[in-house]
Amino acid sequence: MASELLQLLVDGLTIGVVYVLLAAGLSVIFGVMNVINFAHGELFALGAYFALALIAPFGGSAFFVALFVAPLLVGIIGVGIERFTVRPLYGRNPLYHILLTFGLVLVINDLIYLIWEPGSVTLPLPAVLSGSITVLDVTASVYNLFIIVFGALMAVAVWAMFEFTKYGLIVRAGAQDRQMVRNLGIDIDRYYSLVFGMGAALAAFAGIILGGYQTVNPTMGMSVIIPAFVIVVLGGLGSFRGAVVGGLFVGLVQTALRTYAPIFEGTGIFVLMIGVLLVRPHGLFGTDAGEEHAGNLLSGPRGGFLDPQTRTRLGLAMVGLLALVPLGAGTLYSTYAVTLVIEIIIWGLFALSLDFVMGYTGLVSLGHALFYGLGAYAVALGLSHVSQSAFVVLALAIVISAVIAWGIGFLSIRVSGVYFAMITLGFAELFYNLLGQLEFTGGSDGLFGLSTYYGLAGVGVELDEIAVFLGPVAITGQSLFYYIALAALVASFLLTRRMLNSPFGAVLKSIRENEQRATFIGYETTVYKRRAFVVSGALAGLAGGLFTLNAGYATPSLVDWLNSGEVIVMVILGGMGTLYGPVIGSGIFFGLEELLTGFTDRWRLVLGTIFVLFVILLPGGLVSLPSRLAPALLGAPGRGPNPEPEPESNPDPEPATDVDDAHTRGDD
Amino acid sequence: MSQGDTPQGSRRDVLRALAAGSVVGVTGLAGCVGSPDEVGNGDDENFDTVQFGVLEPFTGAFSDLAKERHQGTELAIKQINESDEFDFTIEYDDYDTQLDPATATQRADQAVQSDGAQFLTGCISSSSALAINDFARENEVVYTPGAADVSITGEECNQYVFRFETSTAQIAEVMAQWTADELGDRIVYHIADYAYGESVLEEVETRMESTSDSYERVGVTRSDQGSNDFEAFISQISNESDEADALVVGMTGSDLAIFLSQARSRGLQNEIPIVTTTGSFRSIRTGAGDGAYDIYSGVRYVPELETGDNREFVEAYESEYDGDVPDNFSRVGYESVRMVANGIREAGSRNPTTVAETLPGMEHETIFGPNEFRECDQQASNPVWMGECVDPDSGDLATVELLEELPGEEAAPDCAETGCDL
Repeated sequence: MASELLQLLVDGLTIGVVYVLLAAGLSVIFGVMNVINFAHGELFALGAYFALALIAPFGGSAFFVALFVAPLLVGIIGVGIERFTVRPLYGRNPLYHILLTFGLVLVINDLIYLIWEPGSVTLPLPAVLSGSITVLDVTASVYNLFIIVFGALMAVAVWAMFEFTKYGLIVRAGAQDRQMVRNLGIDIDRYYSLVFGMGAALAAFAGIILGGYQTVNPTMGMSVIIPAFVIVVLGGLGSFRGAVVGGLFVGLVQTALRTYAPIFEGTGIFVLMIGVLLVRPHGLFGTDAGEEHAGNLLSGPRGGFLDPQTRTRLGLAMVGLLALVPLGAGTLYSTYAVTLVIEIIIWGLFALSLDFVMGYTGLVSLGHALFYGLGAYAVALGLSHVSQSAFVVLALAIVISAVIAWGIGFLSIRVSGVYFAMITLGFAELFYNLLGQLEFTGGSDGLFGLSTYYGLAGVGVELDEIAVFLGPVAITGQSLFYYIALAALVASFLLTRRMLNSPFGAVLKSIRENEQRATFIGYETTVYKRRAFVVSGALAGLAGGLFTLNAGYATPSLVDWLNSGEVIVMVILGGMGTLYGPVIGSGIFFGLEELLTGFTDRWRLVLGTIFVLFVILLPGGLVSLPSRLAPALLGAPGRGPNPEPEPESNPDPEPATDVDDAHTRGDD
Repeated sequence: MSQGDTPQGSRRDVLRALAAGSVVGVTGLAGCVGSPDEVGNGDDENFDTVQFGVLEPFTGAFSDLAKERHQGTELAIKQINESDEFDFTIEYDDYDTQLDPATATQRADQAVQSDGAQFLTGCISSSSALAINDFARENEVVYTPGAADVSITGEECNQYVFRFETSTAQIAEVMAQWTADELGDRIVYHIADYAYGESVLEEVETRMESTSDSYERVGVTRSDQGSNDFEAFISQISNESDEADALVVGMTGSDLAIFLSQARSRGLQNEIPIVTTTGSFRSIRTGAGDGAYDIYSGVRYVPELETGDNREFVEAYESEYDGDVPDNFSRVGYESVRMVANGIREAGSRNPTTVAETLPGMEHETIFGPNEFRECDQQASNPVWMGECVDPDSGDLATVELLEELPGEEAAPDCAETGCDL
């Protein structure tokens, strides 16, 4: 028994130490700069690949050299990333960083594919680190012991640097209160590049030692980023101590679960994170100081470039144009256009649902794919077991998603900011794992071969069996579904817009503007936020339900966290807090993907670069484009939310960012 | 409080608008609804070209296998287009499925609707392949998948799907027989906790039970798909190694490579024989390094085979791709296209339904020698082998030595047991 526990300790510490190194950089970058760095996993992978390139010509003995040179190179890249992409975004909402670093993930990952061969390769290790040692019935490979000892030394070195150097003192102070550091006459911004570079180097270091432990492959960054975020949140954002405790704890817990309760292997850390956040909303060692600097909520135009009447007309014209799409399919253009626009509409609805909570209450859900998948599976299971009527199963999808959203909202809305994002991600990952385990949901393959009819109580039609003839044009199957999806989108848009114009919507907007004031007025903001979350969940469920109705299947991949990330990207791309912006964002996202995949194999590189440039150059989303272009086109200053700040009208001694400006010019 | 600049609309207006929209929609439908058959559907028997859609996960965890498969596909198309035996040429487009079923169906739709593909080939993950299975049936296009999942030509089979890839059931047959004969029948399993791992466990166990009366399952450990740390499982397996004759590993991809690599550094290969389903893949041997030495594996293909016209295939492949040697997925891509092309020639039509009616039971000369898509499930009757990965004479990449062959007809499950109803 004792040797079993000792074995567990050695196994758990091995992976735990790697987690510590990975999470420490991520946590410090967030703590000091408020940057949610999704690209951290790719910097981790880059470290392993640089080491591979350095070791390959010289053999395993070059490992120790690579262990120092590769992190240095990645550190330099980190400094470059901070200076040229992150720096222009300081002072803005951390949400920008999601889009920025999402773009960087695509760029770095595609560069890895471009430079190195796809597939797994082993990282050659020196002979001195091979073999295994058995002491007291405990077997450990020499390399694992090396990881534990060397990784721990590295962590201690970083800790000592934070604790005992002037640099560390300033960085720690910056993590607690940036403004205070500035007031002391220290230019904290200069330290940011170094912090980012150091975080990147730590990630690279972790990548190399884990690369030697497993293999080096292009997806290794993607596979560690979620556990890394969980550890950071568990320990408390910005807390080095939290990263150390969180990393070791998760390593040990995961190993223990694999031995004693393997069924919870994948879900254990999420349950742990949710549990900790419910008890301690800022993680084990976190404080709420970091979030005070969260910047103003990013949102699209209020007021806007166009007057309301023109906007309504434009909206009607857009719907009218969309309604015409199936008519030309097969003659003017291929019927694939219908399939593509259906995808845009469904994801547009999904993005609209997210915007309802994200754009109007400031709750960033990183687990919204949960509701999308929930709707899809509700429809799939409903079609198999309840009714083949599309209307019945869609209603089921909406109701189930709404109920689950209420439950998750009840538990989650007590935490805020990044913690809310992570707790929703936790729930989504739990659901994802559950879908893979359960037999009645078809396990990891999913449910296939579903069919439906449009009607009630057995009376209705199947879309493939009827056609609508409009002169020479016949509309059938997919094209008929197109109108159902479009009607769902328009109805959802009208419904949510109506809600926002009601007293309920007014409270939501007041929460967006200033939650504290809304509370002072006497509104119980948590209740309103939860209601918004329920509406949002129900609409996301509707979107997922429509997907399954059309595709005829539901798979766990619908709940993949990347879908949650992509839908956030669409909302930010289009313009948050506008309801129609996210729909445009969906169109741009899929349109660009469509265009680029046909144009180049390196489409992810181009798409990522576009995201990065977009977030730097057009922070108000696409819907702010007209107001940006207006001065140039009309020769008059734009009236939109993001005009350049006018020095005489801005009493703030620090240059206001675009969004700050938008905020002060809000419509209240 | 102001309502902002959004136009003011009452609840009643919204309801009225929605109701009006529905009424217009319904009356619109009522006036001119008919049968879709009236839309018209043309086909021709005189044709010069056929259009293929090649769907592969060019980005994501299987991108190396996608590249491998794609090279095989392209080589087959090139040979067919240059050959006098076929009086048509194959045109094709590539589509990146990104290892996601939803993207896969979207791209399949693009291939069929936009680019006019009548034949689809590709997909390596089972859920993407299953999604395209459905798509092929609904859109009546022929599909040749690249995934090994039993259900593709089992419970989820349909008349448009023909698989040259060897299924997990066929591999399990040779693994179970050889393991019971050579190593013993007390087995400990480690599987990845998703459809593939579970199907390996089920297929091997069923066959073990029928092969040996004294068969015993000593234990099973399960790791999540995409795991990168197997230390805890290796410790457990090590503890059970005294009671078991062999460890059967039901994993593939980087999971298996990492497992083997970590098992090697813990010395597990010396404690218990390790039997895998895909350890013979070059991608696994590359990823696992010396972890792949001294393990056993079911073998779907190795380039050294002397069967059929495999030698010609390997030579053509090497000369086309600068000395790159084909592996399992290369031959799947290659032969899938060749067999479908044979079907098109035989049918004298590029109508997928006509070709799908021609292909079952039709005999082909393949890299494995004479072969066919069985009529009952449209699965190719591939032979399978048992092999051992050994320390190579030169270089680091483990060499696969074949130990035993099981002919196609013996490896394939009985038609009555496939669950396929065609």
